[in-house]
Amino acid sequence: MTAILVKAIADLRRRRVQAVVIFVTVLLSIGTGTMAVTLMSQTRDPYQTAFQAQKGAHLQVTFNPKTDPKLLAATPAAIGASAFGGPYLATGLEFKYGDRKYYQNTFGRDTPGGAVEVLKIAGGRWPRANDEIVLTRSFAELNNVPLGAHLRVTSVPQTPMLTVVGEVIDIDEGSADLSSQHAWVLPAAIPALTTPDSRFYAMDYRFPGDPTSSQLAGYVDRLRASLPPGSISGSVNYLLIRSIFNITNQILTGVLSAFSVFALVATIAIVAVLVTGIVISAYREIGIMKALGFTPAGVTGVFTLQIVIPALAACLLGIPAGTLVSQPLLANSSHALGLPYTPSFSISLDLLILVAGLLVVVVAASLPALRAGLLKPITAITNATAPRGGSGRRVRRQAARLGLPRPVILGIGDAFARPLRAVLTVVTVLIGVATVVVAIGLPRSFLLINNSETGAGRYQVLVSRSDAYPDSEVMRILNAKEETARVVAVGGQNVVIPGISDPVNTRLLRGDSAQLGYMVIAGRWFTAPGEVLAPKGLLQEAHLKIGDQVTGSVNGEPLQLRVVGEVYDISNLGRSLFMDLATMAAVRPVIDPFTYYVTLKQGTDVNAYVGRVAAAQPDLIDVHASDTSIIAPVKIIDSVLLVLAAVLALIGVGGVFNTLLLNTRERVHDTATLKAVGMSPRQVIVMVAAAAGLLALVGGLLAMPLGLILHHMLNDVISSSAGNDTPPGAYAVFNPLELGVIPLLAVAVAMLAALVPGRWAARTNVVEVLHSE
Amino acid sequence: MDRRAIGNGHLWGIGMSELVRLTEITKVYQGGVTGALNGVSLTVEEGEFTAVMGPSGSGKTTLLNLVAGLDRPTSGSVTVAGSDLGPLGETALARFRRDHIGFVFQFFHLLPNLTVLENVLIPAQLKSRVSSEAAGRELLAQLGIAELADRYPAKLSGGQQQRVSIARALINRPTLLLADEPTGALDTRSGDEVMELLRQLHRQGKTVLLVTHDAKLATRYAARVVSVMDGRIVDDARLETADREASDVIKVRGEETR
Amino acid sequence: MHTDHAYRVWNCCLSLKYGLMGLLAEEPLHGYEVKTRFEAMLGGTWEVNIGQVYTTLQRLERDGLVRPVGPRGDRGKLLYEVSEEGRRVLAEWMDQPDSGPQELREDIYVKLLLAARLANGDLAPLLSRQKRAYLQRLRDLNRLEERARRDGRSDLARLVRGALLHTEADIKWIDELSETAISGESE
Repeated sequence: MTAILVKAIADLRRRRVQAVVIFVTVLLSIGTGTMAVTLMSQTRDPYQTAFQAQKGAHLQVTFNPKTDPKLLAATPAAIGASAFGGPYLATGLEFKYGDRKYYQNTFGRDTPGGAVEVLKIAGGRWPRANDEIVLTRSFAELNNVPLGAHLRVTSVPQTPMLTVVGEVIDIDEGSADLSSQHAWVLPAAIPALTTPDSRFYAMDYRFPGDPTSSQLAGYVDRLRASLPPGSISGSVNYLLIRSIFNITNQILTGVLSAFSVFALVATIAIVAVLVTGIVISAYREIGIMKALGFTPAGVTGVFTLQIVIPALAACLLGIPAGTLVSQPLLANSSHALGLPYTPSFSISLDLLILVAGLLVVVVAASLPALRAGLLKPITAITNATAPRGGSGRRVRRQAARLGLPRPVILGIGDAFARPLRAVLTVVTVLIGVATVVVAIGLPRSFLLINNSETGAGRYQVLVSRSDAYPDSEVMRILNAKEETARVVAVGGQNVVIPGISDPVNTRLLRGDSAQLGYMVIAGRWFTAPGEVLAPKGLLQEAHLKIGDQVTGSVNGEPLQLRVVGEVYDISNLGRSLFMDLATMAAVRPVIDPFTYYVTLKQGTDVNAYVGRVAAAQPDLIDVHASDTSIIAPVKIIDSVLLVLAAVLALIGVGGVFNTLLLNTRERVHDTATLKAVGMSPRQVIVMVAAAAGLLALVGGLLAMPLGLILHHMLNDVISSSAGNDTPPGAYAVFNPLELGVIPLLAVAVAMLAALVPGRWAARTNVVEVLHSE
Repeated sequence: MDRRAIGNGHLWGIGMSELVRLTEITKVYQGGVTGALNGVSLTVEEGEFTAVMGPSGSGKTTLLNLVAGLDRPTSGSVTVAGSDLGPLGETALARFRRDHIGFVFQFFHLLPNLTVLENVLIPAQLKSRVSSEAAGRELLAQLGIAELADRYPAKLSGGQQQRVSIARALINRPTLLLADEPTGALDTRSGDEVMELLRQLHRQGKTVLLVTHDAKLATRYAARVVSVMDGRIVDDARLETADREASDVIKVRGEETR
Repeated sequence: MHTDHAYRVWNCCLSLKYGLMGLLAEEPLHGYEVKTRFEAMLGGTWEVNIGQVYTTLQRLERDGLVRPVGPRGDRGKLLYEVSEEGRRVLAEWMDQPDSGPQELREDIYVKLLLAARLANGDLAPLLSRQKRAYLQRLRDLNRLEERARRDGRSDLARLVRGALLHTEADIKWIDELSETAISGESE
């Protein structure tokens, strides 16, 4: 046993470059794998833990202000809730801080504690006076509102001032960049902050166990049944919040898992090629080892160990590294959950990865190593180990017909001399290039989606008005400016749709809304009141298709709707509706738009325009240039994709490098002969680079369709996890020139990688090699 | 018999041009004296068949390598076909070998993945894109192995492989043919055939430099035998070529009776 | 002088004696015929004196190994044949290997020993000159062998081959001596 170890270590010292190749490749793939597994194991847990700890609300419901609070108080018992919070008196609050105005649902609440939705105070304290307000930490951080800030309320005529005295973490809300936030004041403060239109009631419910989505739907139905029709104005369940909260990590986990599998496949290919190469180069040595008394198992062991030792070292470095790198992503979640950041990893999981990783490497190495073990001693000692002749001939002939220089022809003829090795190398290149394609394509798809969601290029200014300021005035101000090219006004309302438990958030649009840049995936934009579009998520849940009629209800009154198209929208993970504002003409109270998307004439200075509109009404409207920057989750996914592309491209390069190293060493005799008959050093390098180029070209060309398919698939997976179909534009984010250039780039990179083995080959000492028989 | 002093490189021939000139060559390898040359000077005329003889480790192969430009002397100069090889870089040396030298090795050194014809054509293809396939086939025919053009070296006998090697050495019409123990890996018959080929090529005007440890071989084909020992030229013998009576060459006498 | 000549001849070679016997065993021959045939067999590498032949035949006859066929008459026309005893003795001689001492007849051996003693006996040039001579001999032998093969004289070619290898051995010996001489100098 010691002899095996000693021999293995001695061999390893001789084969340093190969050891490094194994080390780096395994490090990269185990690292990404560990990241994926760590994220996967943690994604659900922190949220659940925090949710239970804070007694989060399974269901949050808002009610029509006309509803009788006494009825509301009886609902928990009526529907079977195990705990409840409220009824809370609440209001839609508009306030101004700095030069920005905000709208938040503000609830009256005595204490942060209670039976449901315990609010964790992250800074400051709970309000003690009526002019004090508490915000969510997420909101405060996003908008830089510090403790002690003074907020000027603009939704009521008296415009009172509120002081921010505390920041809380509310488990029942998502993060401020994706979801609207709540604020809290003392119950006694609410009346002064209310207008008749902005007032509503809210209740939180908790149910036994972990209710499923259908169970929650059931609860909502029961709730509706126990109250007068039209009482419920909106409801949100915790599953949706959790999904939104987790979606970034879910996508990341999915992407990381998929690509770490690819990385693993590439590593296996490299290991197999490497061990085969080592066995071939050590043929004679194997015979000698056997003559000395090594058993077949012993010989297999020697070769396997040479691979396992650097792989083990790589795992010991890679697993902690992967765990470490995944921490910031987890920390992100923890921070949002208000949990103290504890490094989260599981030793048992890490050990599992270690064992699995080593097992994979061992299996990849053991097959060729087994071949070594089973070799007959006499065969090994006397065998010439040159590859089978002739397999490159057809390639050479074709290349000759193309008029390529002879060193290139010889090189590409060599490339497939050992078919299995060539195929495995092509696989590693394929994986690398396909990942690069995805890493280029997905961010572009995301950008496309981001732009449609933020209206990039469609409108430049966002205006929102306070309840105290009439819609007609806003339109007057805007239309008075000559730079205004188009104004689309947006209002909102929740509509109950049959088959969907929570009332659906609806975008009510007035103006040429088709120009806003929403991506229509099927059908068409609405042209008349009553026509609606919805994302796939809603259509699926409500079992609707384009052309269907459906009767929704608003405030208890029926609303005739007809589905005319499918639209891309990720808010609420695809549970939303788009229609003409006029559809709600008969609804009381009257619904007015409160947000305005303004498109300016070409060449207008946006900031100047914003300044002038703000000057016209500094307090009651909020004007700012629309923010088209990419949202944080997308930025995170984009960076992870970049890292993955780098990792897998590196592995691909490593695969080519590894193969070339083996090839040039095995062919050193032929190279010496070629040099002897007159091949110059540069021609030798060209020969080696040509082989690399061909392998990369084949891998690169095959990778293009594969990468595009992957890109397509990932788009679909990501879109559907956000409750949508992929908009068609998201697939076609490459222009044909790029698709042609990418394989060529792969070829160029491979040829660069070929320089090192190429120069080694070019420097072959002819005299030593040829005359040392 | 033409007597020359040991190591003297003077020319006495008229109308022949000097093809190779080694001047005070020293070659030292790190870590040992094997193969080293010490102060060797040698001249080879065009059209000569010269044998360089010596025991293994004497430096004879090193000498050949220096003439071919495969190796560089530690000191001294090597001039072949009018070019001083000293200042030439690796690329220039490769071109020199390609254009002027035909090398025949003891172990053939054919490329196993290429057919016979492809092997033969390599030096020409490294030189120019113009197809030399016709010339290659003609060479194979001249060497009596035309039918082997599409076969692979592994399937050929030693003698056949060496003929391929000779064809390869000739494809670029080299100025100088260098042969390093060309019969060393062959059986007697194949060896004789190969040497006959070299003799024919010499008769056609090729300058041949043969390295061997076998004196019988050297004297059979070469009229000039240069003896190398321990890195020095110890003799440079130009032998007579005459048809002598058997009795002048051998006298058989039995054992004397008491 | 006749006696000297006879003595010298008498002292010559068993292989001549048995060679002649062997030829006669093949078929009875005249004295002159057996000389010609013997010389032809040796391919010109052994020229015998006719007197030597006759004397040898006489001796053989005296020993009862050959006998004349037919009447004694003109010596030149006497046919000889080999006797049964002669055949037996011939067979015995053929079976015996050459087990005597190695005969080193050439002058180089003595010159070598002298060179160590004599003032002008510088070993290295001596060896080098001798080698040169051997090389020339080798070349001549090679050409002889080639001619013999061309003429279909495979027996002669074999003989020449033997001579070649002997000469090669001599050269190897010279080389060894030269090596020691050179390394002796450089010490």
